[in-house]
Amino acid sequence: MSTTYEITHTTTYEYSDPVSLSHHTLRLHPRELPRQRCLESELQILPRAGVMESHFDYFGNRMTFATVEGAHRKLVATARSRVTVKAPAWPVRSDTPKWEAVRDFTLGYKADEILEAREFVYSSPLIPKEPEFAEYAAPSFTPRRAVLDVVLDLTDRIHGDFKFDSKATNVATPLEEVLKLRRGVCQDFAQLEIACLRTMGIPARYVSGYLETDPPPGKPRLVGADASHAWVSFFCPGVGWIDVDPTNNLLPSARHITVAWGRDYSDVSPVRGVILGSGEHSMKVAVDVSPVTESEAR
Amino acid sequence: MNAPSDTEMINRPTSMFAGYPSVPGIYDEMAMSPGHFRPHWSKFVAAMERLGREELAVRWHHARRIIREHGVTYNVYGDPQGMDRPWELDMLPVLIPPEEWAQLEAGLMQRTRLFNLILADLYGPQRLLREGHLPPALVFANPNFLRPCHGLPVKNQVHVHLHGVDLARSPDGQWWVLSDRTQTPSGAGYALENRIVLSRILPDEFRACQVKRLAPFFRQQSDMLRGLAPHNRANPSVVLLTPGPYNETYFEHDFLARYLGFTLVEGGDLTVRDRKVFIKTLEGLRPVDVILRRVDDSFCDPLELRGDSFLGVAGLLEAVRAGNVTIANGLGSGLIETPVFLAFLPMLCRHLLGEELQLPSVATWWCGQQKEQEYVIEHLDEMVVKSAFGVRPGAPVFGGKLGDEEREALVEKIRARPHDFIGQEQVALSTAPVWHSERLEPRPLVLRAYVAASPDALAVMPGGLTRVSTSAEELNVTMQSGGGSKDTWVLSDDPVSTVTLLTASGQPVRAGRSSGELPSRVADNLFWLGRYTERLEATLRLLRCLVVRMVGEPGGDGPAELSALTQVLVGLDLLPKRFHENMSPKDLEHEVLLLLYKQDRAGSARQIAGRVRALASVVRDRFSADTWSILNKLNIDARSRPRRIPLVDALSLLNVVIVDLSAFSGMEMENMTRGLGWRFLDFGRRLERANHLARLFRAGICPEVKTASVLQPVLEIFDSVMTYRRRYLSGVQLPSVLELLLLDEGNPRSLAFQLEALRDHSEHLPIEGTLTDKSEEESRIESLGLLLREADIESLAQSAETGFHEPLNSLLGDFVVQLGVLSNQLTHHYFTHTVASVS
Repeated sequence: MSTTYEITHTTTYEYSDPVSLSHHTLRLHPRELPRQRCLESELQILPRAGVMESHFDYFGNRMTFATVEGAHRKLVATARSRVTVKAPAWPVRSDTPKWEAVRDFTLGYKADEILEAREFVYSSPLIPKEPEFAEYAAPSFTPRRAVLDVVLDLTDRIHGDFKFDSKATNVATPLEEVLKLRRGVCQDFAQLEIACLRTMGIPARYVSGYLETDPPPGKPRLVGADASHAWVSFFCPGVGWIDVDPTNNLLPSARHITVAWGRDYSDVSPVRGVILGSGEHSMKVAVDVSPVTESEAR
Repeated sequence: MNAPSDTEMINRPTSMFAGYPSVPGIYDEMAMSPGHFRPHWSKFVAAMERLGREELAVRWHHARRIIREHGVTYNVYGDPQGMDRPWELDMLPVLIPPEEWAQLEAGLMQRTRLFNLILADLYGPQRLLREGHLPPALVFANPNFLRPCHGLPVKNQVHVHLHGVDLARSPDGQWWVLSDRTQTPSGAGYALENRIVLSRILPDEFRACQVKRLAPFFRQQSDMLRGLAPHNRANPSVVLLTPGPYNETYFEHDFLARYLGFTLVEGGDLTVRDRKVFIKTLEGLRPVDVILRRVDDSFCDPLELRGDSFLGVAGLLEAVRAGNVTIANGLGSGLIETPVFLAFLPMLCRHLLGEELQLPSVATWWCGQQKEQEYVIEHLDEMVVKSAFGVRPGAPVFGGKLGDEEREALVEKIRARPHDFIGQEQVALSTAPVWHSERLEPRPLVLRAYVAASPDALAVMPGGLTRVSTSAEELNVTMQSGGGSKDTWVLSDDPVSTVTLLTASGQPVRAGRSSGELPSRVADNLFWLGRYTERLEATLRLLRCLVVRMVGEPGGDGPAELSALTQVLVGLDLLPKRFHENMSPKDLEHEVLLLLYKQDRAGSARQIAGRVRALASVVRDRFSADTWSILNKLNIDARSRPRRIPLVDALSLLNVVIVDLSAFSGMEMENMTRGLGWRFLDFGRRLERANHLARLFRAGICPEVKTASVLQPVLEIFDSVMTYRRRYLSGVQLPSVLELLLLDEGNPRSLAFQLEALRDHSEHLPIEGTLTDKSEEESRIESLGLLLREADIESLAQSAETGFHEPLNSLLGDFVVQLGVLSNQLTHHYFTHTVASVS
């Protein structure tokens, strides 16, 4: 079964003083995956960007470089995509290898497949490997337990122990602080789970994307009420990468749309910019994920 | 009678070298045993003996003076006195014989080739990792592996265009590599400066020893860099990107830029438009083809690398990606200078080049491998433990010096994060003689050699930067920790031809094109340099006028003038208000000395002189060597004078510095090309002089000051006494003084003269829009001229003389305000550096 979505992701910057020149990197094109096809994807920047060039970054994400010249006080970047997603077939828990086997397999280095996994076992700019993460992870890592069982248990614990609170943290909050606060947003939970997995030797990467949300019962869908989402993907020899969403405590279905992945948020930040100009700036993001009805889907 | 032979010279009882003590068990570069010298040193040792101890001491002082005059400095972080520490160069070079150098050269070139192949693979297909030749952690856990730089286009796979290699010699005479510098190797410029100094103080010895010249290497490096320009541009523009004057090796950045003929720029001088790099000049954007950078990898682009960097250029990576600019060394090349790679080089060399590694590295074990980790822990006593990736560097830990507890803590740390640590064998460094207190002492040394690489050639600098430690026991050889340096003489079997890129004064030949480009930051600094040199002169003249009357014989008009001048200084906020009443000579003397010597007193001569020096040092590449040496000398320091009669000392210092300053303005008038740089410098000077004039008259012609007593000093301050006497045979009268100092367009000290000069400059500054447009600066200066011409000075003077100062005072006040606005306008139009910020 597959679903087709229309996604609009709008980022609006407002500057207190005119900006004469700004450069941006944007990662807003959904990835092509065996279970995900990107039918259309376009990016528009206003005022018109004099330069817009795309390439695939180190992790295979499509990155666009854009330059806006001429004084501007406001900048709007709008990405519109149409994506078809199939629900993945995740393996049965007990069919996956023991977690110790995953750890030991990763530490050896012979084949191409695991080289990519090796990229995701070390600390990264936003995810240090500290003893407290191992300590938090330990109860889930009982000896000879199947790795998927371990990860789902860890996911369940994070979901239970941590409260979703968009005020408690920001992008600069260190992960150790998140662990103490027991609060945060999807980005914090994903990075925390990655820290736990990596300290135990399981390769894990950070996935950014979107999640289709249901409107409250009896109400129509609100356009732009959605947000970017983030979750975790870990490596399981013989299976490949398995996604898991600690914010919602589940294995992603056809409602998760993958945009980019990397070691942590710093590798995949959707929009980043350097402006020439003084003064303050503010940023607003609006995301809208709507399923396309069969007739529209063609 | 024949001259004594070399052997006879050395064996004389007064010989300096016969008593040189070498250290047992250590290889000495010069002596095999006391009194026995290695054959390649004999000519040099004998030549030194012929010079004799006293002559050497004389030459040594000469060397120190050249270093001071050239302004060779090395900045030391975290030491307020240490900024601009003079460069430490030893009298005696290290000598390397031809055959030994040939071997080193081959080994160095192989190493650079190898490093480029490794980088090309790791920033490309990563076969070394896929095929298991290199543990992935070396790259993936390495913070110097910059993922955004992966896959950037690199001409012929050359990432490292200049490779610095630190070499040490073990007791058996074998050279070992201690470490590599692959992102921004420093020191090549200091090596060149060392050569310039030493070949000048020991010219005959230098010639006699047949020393290989350094100039051809730099010419080759310069050609290589020009050849890196994308699209094979015929006359490419090359810039040297510096982190700025606070960097430890800033002297060298400026020196090399001039020597190689490149424009020196900071990150803020560059901008990326349309995926191309440009330099911002006053006349607009000029394209840049090649960037020789001294900014570390991760600081080069705040957009794709470290967002908190203010040293880089936003969009630089994209410009490289588009193939529009070449950066040397390639971005990301710092990966391979992390010490952990040393452990894998022999194997990589066999795999990639099919050769044995010729130059061994100091034995290194990476704890990320089980066997090696155990070995390091077992042999901890003989190990130096370091950070594998150079991230949390701290000082290297000498295992043998640890107590039991520290040792256990270290082992625990290694076991917890094995791949963060390496163990290295301790190296016994060789020693060489250092000239210290007119004697020779052995000191441990490290030699930094340099290899330049281009897509089709390799060149090794015949020489290098030898650094020696502070004492015979100290094995930590770094310039940061206060060691010294030596010139390195690579000897040749054949006579050496003379090639130089230097002019007769010892300064580099400047390339034509770079001088035309005036980055707006430089214009800004020149403008302020003009203002501060003028302010310094004004302050010194004011102080001299005062001090002359304080030390002079009482009587005549002296005391009345002294009192009037004191009130003027109070009016200018240079002296405290209490001097309105209190006139104790002791108190005044104390305050005047503070005003001259005290560093942190607002408006003190010393403080202003410090600003002048700081500004001059950042625009040094705009001045001739002679001009620079005048500016570099400006130093107002009480410690440098015998302090018997402080006021008399002060007076002679004032006289000296005033003359030095006029030498600077003479140089500026006679030697500086009348380009935009000169205009901004002179604009600053004229604006400051006009401002000072208006302020001084306001403070002098007021109810608090007796007009009759202040006029003579004012004429002195503005150097117009002679003119006045010639022109007005009468005594000094206010109307005539005002006419001479405000209105006379022929007097270079007058307000009218300054306004005319400012008008001329403003006409020639570039403006946006059509050429017929008048800039705001021009209009403002013209209206000031009008204000002056229309003022009825005669009647203003008369009313002031009758005690009604207000009309004159308010006219002068208008000038002060308007000149301030003019300065801000200029800053706003030409120098505003918009700051980049990351979102």
